[in-house]
Amino acid sequence: MKRLTIAFVILTLLGPAALAPADSKIKVVATIPDLADMARHIGGDLVDVSSIATGVENIHAVPMKPSFATLLNQADVLLLLGLEAEHAFLPALIEASRNPRILRDAPGYIDCSTYVEVLEVPTRIDRALGDQHPMGNPHYNLDPVSMKGAARAIADGLSRNYPEHAAVFKKNLDAYLAQLDAAIARWEKEATPLRGKKLVSYHPDLIYFAERFGMEAFGTIELRAGIPPTPSHIEELEESMRKNKVDIVVRELHYPAGLAETVAQATGAKLVELPAFVGGVPEAKDYISFVDYNLRTMLKAVQGG
Amino acid sequence: MGRVPRRVGMAIAVLALGVAALPRGVRAQSEELRRELEAMRKQLKQMQEQLEKQQKVIDKLSAEKQAPAAPEAATAPGAKTAEAAAADEERLKREVTEHIMQRLRPQLAAANKTFPSQFNPAIGLIVDTVGSYGSKTRGDFELRAAELGISASVDPFARGYAIITGSNQGGFDVEEAAIVTTSLPYNLTFKGGRFFADFGRLSKFHDHDLPFVNRPIVLDRYVGGESQSDGVELNYLVPMRQYLTLTGGWYNKMGAENERVDNTVSRDLSQFTYLGRAATFFSLTDANSVDLGGSWAYTPEVKIDNGASRTLAGIDLTYRYSPLSQASYRGLVWGTELLYNQEDRPVGGFPTTSAAVATSLERALGVPTLAAETRGSPFTLAGPTSAAATPLVFKRRDSTGLYTYLEARLTQRYYPGFLFDYAQDLDHVAGYTTGYSPYLTVWLSEFQRLRLQYTRLEQPGLHENEFFLQWTVILGSHVHSFKDR
Repeated sequence: MKRLTIAFVILTLLGPAALAPADSKIKVVATIPDLADMARHIGGDLVDVSSIATGVENIHAVPMKPSFATLLNQADVLLLLGLEAEHAFLPALIEASRNPRILRDAPGYIDCSTYVEVLEVPTRIDRALGDQHPMGNPHYNLDPVSMKGAARAIADGLSRNYPEHAAVFKKNLDAYLAQLDAAIARWEKEATPLRGKKLVSYHPDLIYFAERFGMEAFGTIELRAGIPPTPSHIEELEESMRKNKVDIVVRELHYPAGLAETVAQATGAKLVELPAFVGGVPEAKDYISFVDYNLRTMLKAVQGG
Repeated sequence: MGRVPRRVGMAIAVLALGVAALPRGVRAQSEELRRELEAMRKQLKQMQEQLEKQQKVIDKLSAEKQAPAAPEAATAPGAKTAEAAAADEERLKREVTEHIMQRLRPQLAAANKTFPSQFNPAIGLIVDTVGSYGSKTRGDFELRAAELGISASVDPFARGYAIITGSNQGGFDVEEAAIVTTSLPYNLTFKGGRFFADFGRLSKFHDHDLPFVNRPIVLDRYVGGESQSDGVELNYLVPMRQYLTLTGGWYNKMGAENERVDNTVSRDLSQFTYLGRAATFFSLTDANSVDLGGSWAYTPEVKIDNGASRTLAGIDLTYRYSPLSQASYRGLVWGTELLYNQEDRPVGGFPTTSAAVATSLERALGVPTLAAETRGSPFTLAGPTSAAATPLVFKRRDSTGLYTYLEARLTQRYYPGFLFDYAQDLDHVAGYTTGYSPYLTVWLSEFQRLRLQYTRLEQPGLHENEFFLQWTVILGSHVHSFKDR
């Protein structure tokens, strides 16, 4: 009887693992849907891709669900934005996942910021300056040119882990980059009316977008990155916005609506609501439609549509 | 010597005289200016040299790039393929990178030699202060903890961490100092040293990480505060889609303030504490989830309990509502733990406890059998002082207790909540204690928090009203740990 009980316990614990269907596809887990979309293009049929975030979340406040630990436990490779963007949930989840393949510095840990020209690298690290990212602003996913670098990093990472498929990844990467390049050329042309327009966002995550399309990131509703606004900061911001004729207030959809709206109304700026990731709105189904949506929404506001 | 140099010489002499005639302060200033000018000149020269070198490299590379183009043009005039151009570009990039790396390498090597402290661990300090006032316990400002956290990888196989706490209770205490494996196979993690045993949920939280000011009474009384343990623990993540972890632990004892056993005395195998725990997680929807755990700690023989066994079991349940797109400023948490303790206890309680009951609450109440032991659980049983002289009579006691709290996240800053406490007395002398604690947490930033709490404690025949103001800050390195979620 005792032996039977022990056998039952062992089978209960190990059974699901033993019975799990053997899947030959490379299991890719990305922190955000933007990277997941690119991994699907580059990996093709060789990969099975999941994303931790759905796209509607604030990357700095993704709930740390234990189910993500089991997802990461099965991962062959992990794709992340890097630059400490995922500091609120990823390091702890990696530890909880017990997966040595995706530990930091392991081959399966693919930091997609490797080829990105990073903006706002702080010259002084001090918490008085807010919740700083010591390696620079991590929100480069809003800039399609920076994301070409991310695509390259994904292809490199996959090839490093699966050199036998390197040619396929290279071919898929080239095809995807060609698609992205065509879109970038179109976006740059379309974005002409945005040139010189000033914007205030809730969090400093529109920097790369502004830089790419010739806009000027004037300030943030947050007092400093990650620090909720104070009444005096809002007062000063509004005054300065009026003086400098700021055109746009951006509310990233994962931030509260009320205050951004009030600031826009008080200063005569247009309120624009943008997703920060693929999947942030139903229209942003993949990376190209995501940038399409953001640019179109911004243009509509500027052109008074 | 020509006329011009002579004039220059004279001018220098006049200038020198003039400078000598200047007041000392002005002279010092001009000296400083001269030094700055000299430094700038040097920098300019260095930059010029650097530019010249770079120009040479560019010229060289451009020449190399053009050279093979000639024969190609001969074979296929004016038709350089896109592939060849891409290859050229790639080669040029590689050469430039190599050149830059060659120049950087010695400097990087030098930097590595210069900073041996690079391997120093991440260091963080948490300062937790509490001001309190009670109708009977009166007022107090307490530096509850200055907690130094140190952590780093040991090697590819393990990481280590330590939490060293200083408080106004005197001295420094090693709250945790543990080694955790990072690369064991089969989803296993092994931990050794001093750490918070995997019992329940809030027992594993440090005081400053609790959602309210004080540790729930049931945890203080049954576990002994934090589940601090010296020993080893093996944790297994069951390899399946459903999250399930299993823990087995072997400790000297469990509970920082558990005084049944002394950590420094060696013991028989029957006198260690053994733990088993299972924890799982259910994602009901994207926004709603439930964490569920069951823990069981068994000590076959507790000397102080007349050599009888002790069982401490608990169930913990945490429900979370966290709308994905608003998680940073909206949410709700309902957390509860139910604990059951079974052990032999002396009839009327331990006499040793009574010797230590000269507390403010006792003085205020004039009731010699009750003591204020820790904040949040001031009603602790103390045996009659006369019991010291008579042999103790033990009886098997079953006790239960629970806490339950509800906390809402209204904005990024404001988190109001309510905690309910209930705990039976382990010795069944003083009945049970209940506590009602509304509180408001204000997060000024991720690294600074204020908390205001009112607590009403009740025990048959007694009650106490207390007010708390807690101010907690984090300096330096800070990680979001999985167990504190």
